[in-house]
Amino acid sequence: MKKNLLHSEKKGDILLLFTVILLSVTGTVFIYSASNYSASATYGDAFYFVKKQAIGIILGVAAMMCACFFDYKKLKKFTLPVAIVSFITLILVFIPGIGVENYGAKRWINLGAFTVQPSEIAKFALILFCATYYSRFKGAGAGFAGNIPVLLFGGATCLCVILEPNMSITVCIAVLMLTMIFAAGLRLKTMLFLLVPAAVGGVLLILAEPYRLSRLTAFLNPWSSPKGEGYQLLQSLYGLGSGGWFGVGLFKSRQKYAFLPFAESDFILSVIGEEIGFIGLFLFFALIFFIVYRGLKIAAKAEDVFGFVLAVGITMIFGIQAIINALVVTGSIPPTGLPLPLVSSGNTSIIIFMAEMGVLYNVSKRGSLTF
Amino acid sequence: MKKIKEIPRIKQDFSITVLRKRLFAIVIAVAFLFCFVLGRLFYVQVIWGEDLQEKALDQWTREIPVVAARGRITDLNGVVLADNDDTYTVFVRKKAVKDMGKLCETLSDVLSLDYEYVYKRLTETRSGEVTVKKQVKKDKINALLSYNFDGVYYSRDNSRTYPYNETLAQVLGFTSTDGKGQAGLELYYDKYLKGMDGEILYETDIVGVEIDGGKASYIPATDGLNVKLTIDSEIQQLCESAMTEAYEIHSAKSAQMLVMDPSSGAIRAVAIKPSFDLNEVPRDDLDALAKLSRNNLFCDVYEPGSTFKILTSAANIEEHLQGNKSAFSVEHVFSSSRYRYVDGQRVKCWSNHANGKHSNLNLQGALNNSCNPIFVDIAMSLGKATMYKYIDLFGYGSVTGVDFNGESQGMILPMSAVLNVDLARIAFGQTIAVTGLQLAAATAAAVNGGKYYVPYLLEEIYSDFGVIAEKNLPKLKNRVISEKASAILSSMLEKVVEEGSGKQAYIEGAKVAGKTGTAQKYENGRIAAGKYVASFVGYFPADDPKYLALVVIDEPKGEYYGSTVAAPYAKQVFEGIIKLKGM
Repeated sequence: MKKNLLHSEKKGDILLLFTVILLSVTGTVFIYSASNYSASATYGDAFYFVKKQAIGIILGVAAMMCACFFDYKKLKKFTLPVAIVSFITLILVFIPGIGVENYGAKRWINLGAFTVQPSEIAKFALILFCATYYSRFKGAGAGFAGNIPVLLFGGATCLCVILEPNMSITVCIAVLMLTMIFAAGLRLKTMLFLLVPAAVGGVLLILAEPYRLSRLTAFLNPWSSPKGEGYQLLQSLYGLGSGGWFGVGLFKSRQKYAFLPFAESDFILSVIGEEIGFIGLFLFFALIFFIVYRGLKIAAKAEDVFGFVLAVGITMIFGIQAIINALVVTGSIPPTGLPLPLVSSGNTSIIIFMAEMGVLYNVSKRGSLTF
Repeated sequence: MKKIKEIPRIKQDFSITVLRKRLFAIVIAVAFLFCFVLGRLFYVQVIWGEDLQEKALDQWTREIPVVAARGRITDLNGVVLADNDDTYTVFVRKKAVKDMGKLCETLSDVLSLDYEYVYKRLTETRSGEVTVKKQVKKDKINALLSYNFDGVYYSRDNSRTYPYNETLAQVLGFTSTDGKGQAGLELYYDKYLKGMDGEILYETDIVGVEIDGGKASYIPATDGLNVKLTIDSEIQQLCESAMTEAYEIHSAKSAQMLVMDPSSGAIRAVAIKPSFDLNEVPRDDLDALAKLSRNNLFCDVYEPGSTFKILTSAANIEEHLQGNKSAFSVEHVFSSSRYRYVDGQRVKCWSNHANGKHSNLNLQGALNNSCNPIFVDIAMSLGKATMYKYIDLFGYGSVTGVDFNGESQGMILPMSAVLNVDLARIAFGQTIAVTGLQLAAATAAAVNGGKYYVPYLLEEIYSDFGVIAEKNLPKLKNRVISEKASAILSSMLEKVVEEGSGKQAYIEGAKVAGKTGTAQKYENGRIAAGKYVASFVGYFPADDPKYLALVVIDEPKGEYYGSTVAAPYAKQVFEGIIKLKGM
């Protein structure tokens, strides 16, 4: 133990990396299952989404490997550049020609060969900022005033994302920010003063856009508009319900025959649940929970405050997004478009998450057991 | 060294216990949320699952109906009166079509449809599934099948055919174009005839494109049951030609004839002219259809006139036999006056009594000459209560209960409202309206030994495998008069044909009995000048009636007496029956 403390170079959490790869490969199998029918109908290629995802995973693993061997402490230096890139890309989204509009929201920027989702970068930028800030001003996290820079940074990011608009990522970022503030040791009473305005803000956001309100009512009773707002939720529930205990069998989903929109991305859990049932999903969630658990354990053993906050942030953005996605797919909260990290189809998301996991691994390599 | 320095600094600035607690709280929160998600999944997948799957199943499959073959309708001897042709509905699942242009071309060609029409239907209809044409004959389907188009489907829909066209049209009724019973017996026995449709279920995607390797399940149709009627198509044909003739010769508004078995109530024939071809139902002209398809004998009323005197006679004979002093004996000779005065009104005989035929008549003479005043005497003597008792026993004023929709119950003044002068007229069949069926059934009861049988059309319901699902037996409703009274009345009615007004129905050795009727028509409460209903109700053999016929000629032009206009057709049909049955 002492030895580890003094010689902090040690074996990292290989099991974490293994789980991450296992999860993303499993995800790709289900992306194939969920998308082959619609992909061959739309793009004439049953493997369209699989190929895209495979590229994402290859790039992601490469990024993860780099991050694994890159001393995370050096990331501090990148805090400012990453923040700048984050805000610039967030703003670029609104510039016609560069920003790509889809389903009425400007969430992507076009980089010629591929598109990038700036909000994915923004999440990491926020984590990095918090880590650097809390390590630079140690103890600042305990009081309200010390958290103001974090609130400003996070608030600005949220503002940019909500203007796209992207409610779900905004919520993720807000929850992430609060989690990091909480983890950084803000006094509980002060914490309450933050939570109340956040909750009020959430309600206001829902009221601000009529479609969010109608989604909310559709969520409360999806059968009131089975062809309209309630459609997606119903289809998701049909898929899960058809799965039962053991599922209908791999590749045998019926819902993927164009019944379930975004089957390969936001609603992939529904297809997974349909094909491998409750038992299968139970094991699947065990993998996800395992990553969160290991991530938090790494945070607990982190060598320094920077590593601690970094690990908490990375782990929690993964956990928060996974939980919100699962809550949406199971109809526990109003539907909102949010991919399941490492699993859903989506290149930017998988590359960044994998790179973050690499950073997490690097933190684990230098972790102290005495922390 | 640098690293070692940093670690104590964490310890200084961050309370490790606080951070540990915070991390622990986060782990607990995350674990709690995961448990919640799993709990919710358990609920959705395991507890709610079956229900959800059932709902989902609905959208995963598309059905193609397999129409059950409608049961046949036959006569008593199995002659098919309503049959089915194998036809098919052609429809198209738009999304599955590969070459729309060629498909439309072929469809319009083979089905003789306008190309533009087909193209518009297939491209502009919003529904994913478009019916192109119904009731397409088998050979055309085979022609289409040879092209092996994607997205074209066929389902059996059947076309109803009626081999005898106009025959029994108002009784058989017809079906809608999609084969549902719409009128007449087709409607009345629809639940037996229609059977149960099956379906073929295909697994499809959201817009109905069949999934490769998807399962198809077949739920076979259960064909409808056959309905065998009491109708005898040979007798029916005799009536059809008799009524066609009557309708034309007398330029009548309509000519109607009904034949029944008086010993059971089984209806053997119902012919109403004008009629229409059941294979070409005039669906575009609803007024004409309503008129032509109306079963006037069951559903419309008329003033029966003298044929109603059978009831008055029956009441008198029965009451006399029972010792009712107000009834007249058969020997009683009635007043020869042409007039009777009731309630200060003069009721007169149709005859002017000038030729002496209406002088010194007993009941037989009164029936022979159809002398109205004598029946007024009987009704006045028996009184309201007795007359209404018999009206009721003979089933007037209520539906007979025949197996047919829309039967009329006739029109009779309620006993409390009837005046003596009304009763006087009722005695010879006026101020009362009845259906032909009521009169036939009542007459049958009066002469068959006094038993009122509910008239009926259904002999049995049977499956194609010969299993009889339901057999209809004669239903005795009530006794009307004694056997003795019935025999007396019947022999009197035989005389009416032998020597009285029914002579035109006389057949040597056949013991035909009957009564004529000639009634003036009323329109808007006034006698309609020149409009009559000529009728004759007859049966044979008089001592054991087997066939009873009612002939009603509505508004004949020229001659209008029941004796000359209606009776000959009964004779014509009776002769035909004698020949057919070798009697």
